[in-house]
Parts: sequence; C-alpha cells; structure tokens
Amino acid sequence: MDNNEFEKLLLSVQKPGRYSGGEINSVIKDKTAVDVRFAFCFPDIYEIGMSHLGMKILYSQFNSRDDIWCERVFAPWVDLEALMRERGIPLFALESRDPVKDFDIIGFTLQYEMSYTNMLNMLDLAGVPPRSKDRTDFTPLVVAGGPCVCNPEPIAEFVDIFFLGEGEEVDLELIDLYKKFKKSGGSKAEFLREAAKIEGVYVPSLYETEYNQDGTLKSVTAQNGAPATVKKRIIKDLDKLYYPEKFVVPFIDIVHDRVVQEIFRGCIRGCRFCQAGYIYRPVREKSVDTVNRQAKCLCENTGYDEISLSSLSTSDYREIEPLLNKLLEWTTEKRVSLSLPSLRIDNFSDELLEKIKHIRKSGLTFAPEAGTQRLRDVINKNVTEEEILRTCKTAFAGGYTAVKLYFMLGLPTETDEDLKGIADLGQKIVDLYYALPERPKGKSVSVSISVSTFVPKPFTPFQFEPQITVDEIRRRQEYLKSQITTKKISLSYHDSATGFLEGVLARGDRRLCDVVEAAYKKGCRFDSWTEHFDLEKWLEAFEDCKIDPAFYANRTRDFEEVLPWDHLDYTVSKDFFIEENKKAKSAKTSPNCREKCSACGAACYGEGVCFEKR
Amino acid sequence: MKFVSHLDMNRFMSRLVSRAGIPVWYTEGFNRHFYMNFAVPLSLGFEGLYEVMDFKLTDDDYSLSECLERMNKVCPPDIEFFKIGEPKESMKEIAFAEYRLRFEALSDEFAERLTGFLSQKSVICEKTGKKGRVKEIDIIPKIKSFSFDGNELTLILNAGNEDTLNPNLVLTAFYAQTAAPPVFCTVTRTMLFNKKLKPFE
Repeated sequence: MDNNEFEKLLLSVQKPGRYSGGEINSVIKDKTAVDVRFAFCFPDIYEIGMSHLGMKILYSQFNSRDDIWCERVFAPWVDLEALMRERGIPLFALESRDPVKDFDIIGFTLQYEMSYTNMLNMLDLAGVPPRSKDRTDFTPLVVAGGPCVCNPEPIAEFVDIFFLGEGEEVDLELIDLYKKFKKSGGSKAEFLREAAKIEGVYVPSLYETEYNQDGTLKSVTAQNGAPATVKKRIIKDLDKLYYPEKFVVPFIDIVHDRVVQEIFRGCIRGCRFCQAGYIYRPVREKSVDTVNRQAKCLCENTGYDEISLSSLSTSDYREIEPLLNKLLEWTTEKRVSLSLPSLRIDNFSDELLEKIKHIRKSGLTFAPEAGTQRLRDVINKNVTEEEILRTCKTAFAGGYTAVKLYFMLGLPTETDEDLKGIADLGQKIVDLYYALPERPKGKSVSVSISVSTFVPKPFTPFQFEPQITVDEIRRRQEYLKSQITTKKISLSYHDSATGFLEGVLARGDRRLCDVVEAAYKKGCRFDSWTEHFDLEKWLEAFEDCKIDPAFYANRTRDFEEVLPWDHLDYTVSKDFFIEENKKAKSAKTSPNCREKCSACGAACYGEGVCFEKR
Repeated sequence: MKFVSHLDMNRFMSRLVSRAGIPVWYTEGFNRHFYMNFAVPLSLGFEGLYEVMDFKLTDDDYSLSECLERMNKVCPPDIEFFKIGEPKESMKEIAFAEYRLRFEALSDEFAERLTGFLSQKSVICEKTGKKGRVKEIDIIPKIKSFSFDGNELTLILNAGNEDTLNPNLVLTAFYAQTAAPPVFCTVTRTMLFNKKLKPFE
C-alpha cells in the first residue's frame, strides 16, 4: 500500500492514530536482514491491546534479537474493516505496513474467550485460511498463547501451535526451531511433530478426540510421538528474566497509559473461582532492587509520569513497604505517581494506606466477591465483614468518600440470602460513614457495587459446576436491585448473555470449533463489546451445528468425567481441585500458600513460594 | 504525526520533555502538570512546517541549544525542533496562517470553479463551535489571499485566538455550494504570520 493510499484510508476512519504506527520506541528493522518476521496479533482494538503487559514484554524481547523482527497487529475497528474489505486491503502490521500473510509466524495472544471471533476475522482479513488443515504451506504458521490456552479446544482447529504458560523461553525455542526448518526446507507436518517435543508446546492436530454416547469426552489420544500430556512452562527466576527497558508510547490515549511494573507472578490465595490464581502458580517474586531498577528505567525511556505495580494481589508482595519507600525516593521528585491495583482488604495496613494517600487520592476498590461470610468461605475468599468495615473506616477517616465493591453473582451454592448480603454490606458501609465523627465534612458517601456474572473456568475447583441459566441470572440481578434502597449505593452488573457464551467457550471441547467459525461467518466479532455482541447470531450458529450450548454451560460434570483440558498439565492436579470442590460445598476454607502448603502440585518446578521458609 | 490530535499532541510533548530530561516548569496546582502552549492548534490530518509552542524552564541559565538538542534526540523522525529562543512576540500577535492544499489531481475546470467560489463577495456557512453551538459566519473576509500552482492551492487565512478559519471549512463550503465532485487533498500548514504578514517569531 503506498503512502497516499494509506493516508486516504486513515483520514476516512475514526482515531487514525490506532493504525498509523511510528510511536516512540516502536521498532523498525530492515526486513531483508532478519530471519524471522513475527506478527504479534492482539485480537481487539489498539487501545486495549496496547495496554497489555505480556505483549509489551514479548515484543521487546523478540526485537532484542537481531534475527527477529516482531511487529504489532490489532483488530481494525468496524469502520476500517469495512473500508479494507471494500478496497481489498489486507490486514497489515503497524511497523512495516506489510501484509500479515507474508510473515513467517502469526501469533495471537488470547486473553478472553470473547475475542475468538476477532482472531478468525483477523486471519480472514489477512487472507489466511482460518483452519490449520487448509494452510498446507510451511508459512505462515499460526500460534497462540495466553490464559485461554489452558483450554484451547474450541479454537484448536484454527491454530497450529499453542504455548502453555509463560512465553519468554518457549516462544524463542520455537522460533529457533522454525529458523532451522526454514533453512533446511522441512515440511509443516515434520515441523509440528518436532515442535511438539518442546516442553510447553501443544500441537492440537496431533491429538485425536473420541466421545461417549452421552456427548461427553471419552478420550484424547496423542499421535505421532506427541506427549500424552503437555506441561505448562514457567520462568523460574524473575530477577534474571528479560524485562523491557522501553515501552512503545502511544500517541492516542489507551486504557492503561502508564508504566506497568510487574512485581510478582502467581497468587498465594487460592480463591476457588479464580483461574488466574491457579494457572500462574507458583508465586515467584521479583526483588525490590529489580522492581525499582526496571521501573526507573522505564520512566526514563518513556516519559510516563505514572507507574502501576502489577500483580494479582499487590499487598501480598512480601516487601511492599520497603519497595514503596525505595520508589518514593525518586518518584516524588520526578513527579511520577504510583498506583497500586489489586489490594486486598485483610492485609491493607494503616501504614500502607498512609503511603498511597500521599501518592494519589482516588477511589478505593475492594473485591469481597460475595455478600455473606458463608459464601465467601465457599469461594475461599478469606476476608471478613469486620475487615471490610475496618478498612473502610480507616479510609473514610483518611478523607476517602468513594468506595467501589466488586461482587460475583451466580456462585455455586448462592441463595437469595447471599444476594441480600451484598445490599446489606453496602448499606453497612453507608451507615458506617455517617456514624463516623471524623468523616470528611459536608461530603456525601458513594458506594458503587459492581456485580459480574460468575463463569466456571477450567483449572479451578469450580470447573465441575454448572453455570446458572440466563433467565436465572436476570432474576437474581432483579432481586438484588430490589434489595438496594438508598441512592448512596449505585449498582451495575454485566450483561447476562455475554457471561453465558463465555461460559460455553471456556469449558468447551473441539466440537465448538465449527460453532465459532459459523458465528464469525454470520458476522460476529467484537463479542466483548456490548454494542456488537449478538447472542441471536451465536444461537443460530449453535443450531446450525446441532450443538446445545447448555450442555457446556449449565451441566454438572462428574469428578470422573474426562475434561477437554485434562491432557494439558498446569501442574495443579485434578485431585486437588476435587478436594477443594468438596471443601467448598461444606464451606470450609483452605489456607493460603504462605500459611500452609495444600500440596496442589505446583511445587514440581522447585521454585517460588513452595520453597519459602514458613 | 499528522494523525495525532491536538490533545494527544499535548500529552506527547509532556512525555517528550520528560524523556529529554530538561528542567521544565510545572504548574503549582493540585494536579501538577507540564505547562505548555501551542500557538495555534493543528487539526488532525494536517501537517505543519512552522509550528510554535511555548513552555518555561525553571533554570534561567540552562543552555537553550542543549535543550534543542536533547528534545530532538528523543523525538520520532516525523518531528523536528528547528529553533528555540526567548519569545520575541506575544502569541496574540499571530494573525494569519498559510496553508498548502495539494490536490490529487486538479483539472482546469475544478480550479476555475474554486477561483470563482473564492472570488465571491460573501459566503455564509455554518460553523460548529466548541460547545456544539452552530453559528453562521462569512468565510470570505477571513481569506486573506489564494493562489494556484500546479496541483496546489495556497491559502492565507485568518488564524490566532480571536478569529480562525480552518481550510477544511473552506472546502466544505465549496463542495456544498458548487456540488463539485470531491477531490482528495492533503493539507500542510506552511507558515504562521503576525499582523504585518511577517513570519511569527
């Protein structure tokens, strides 16, 4: 595409800065001087994809090698897509503007199930056949990683290779193998067989699936020498791990437009609904010095004036206070602000609150997740009402007037009593505020309650549980609404239909590939965008393929049932999940990893919290 | 860079001076930020060859040439800072801007129609203000001069805080009045002038 044509195209769409490239720290290389061209695709728009830390890490890491040129590709918004289709312009990468189909490897990061149709749409826009079997040439290879890959079966027929777990090592091992094959001229089939020998690489076409009469999975069998189970990869020592010195700094405003500094991976908590809490085990921390050095370097190279500390539970970082002290030594002078997302209520000390008060006064956000102690025990969210109220009290006394609370609706064993508990807790916080003599004078309190729909996910103790039906979700949402009687509390909840489809795709098997393709052919894309999500089209797609979505979303699985992801080894054992499920049903909590090891299986790596002195 | 809006450009500059590590002055309020001003905002999609911005340094003795060098060093290739200095005139002195409109193809007929349009005594058209209020304005008195050269039309239009005319509005009014088939054109702002039509410094 020549410059003139490109300009014309961009001047006809909203936010052309999404597609123009040329940002600070974006990488331009001589394409004739590299061996491997990698198109890193994020199946959503620029503003979302550019906020994603994993992509920043791998983009920089790949480009730190002279023989690889990694470029970024995002899903064009519907306005640009229409023009591209009309004018026959294929999907292009931001850096070179070259067509994606000319790349050696097309890699997708799959962060949420609702982006699957975008992946197919991007392949189609690129002019690449969506099905793996229809891509007989060696290139382009289509690979994917990210949390959704822990059950990639609903998209297994579109992707040649999945990366399980953390990508920093395994991705490069695969690229090296690719280089070797490209030079020697091997076939795709040979390459895939060879790739399957790398730990953490899952080649779905090498696995045969069989089903029982009742529709459940009978077996998944490895073929052609592929391993019976594929074990996820982790990075053992985060202090020695590559971390970018630069981030690409967008011109346009993106969702998270700041330095994102990772402080640890994994989570010690074991909340039973939370997939991230299990698939990223074991917890491994970066040292204070590493975090401080990396954050400072990123600020200098980007010009950002905000750092966000990133992890699944910031206050579980063992040396959070020394870290904040160290960061504050230079951030105050440089006018860099710190934000600490993902704080927990139970270890949110007065000192910590005092520190972040200096940093920035915004709202406080907590995630009790459930309205009653019984249900919080079921989900192993080990926070108590007293802790929540105590923290709010400290916060109000410190001048805060807004609290945001996150809950989930439809958790296993949930009753109307539990829903009422959500409204009651909100009311108690409002009452607490007005009973407090030292509350900010003349200001009203605002409690925002945000309720998402629980979706049972693979690799959690609730992977066996049915999701409640869309009608039941709506009934419970209405009931909750009726329980809130004050305007000081505002309630928002997620669309019930989106949660249903997410539930189907999350625990789906390979037969859903046809449905995903059919839905995309009917025009489904940007399913995570309320204005584009079209449940009717999806239901038609299920019907066309003669597949009942309720079989996947609303059915209870026996502990003995073969699950579509059983051949993928995220090191936390199925037996552990069964035990946790039983404990959940009797509302028994489990200790966190630092209190006591529950022998989940993640200790097999010989690293991390499993080997800390208790 | 032409696809960067004015608001995004402000943020871009703030990060740029931070990367450059020059001692710039920040506002003193609750939300302290880098204080900087563009003389005349440039519309999204336009290129600019002579753009003026102003900011303060906290250190009076800081070398301006070093400042220029450092800023250029951390800048993407699409932008160059070519001059830095104490302001000679107030921003308020800016009165005109020169725009070069390069048409993809400019037929004699099209140029004639455009000339005829621009030579009228008065053209009233609607302009949407910042707050979405629509008002009627006469664009002709705001057009200082126009000339053709090959595929290019050069316009000198009123510019500055008080009274600004965007060349896009001229084109919109032209197409609306004449129903001529639109021809793609790129717009470059080539100069900012003071009241005496001398380059603003």
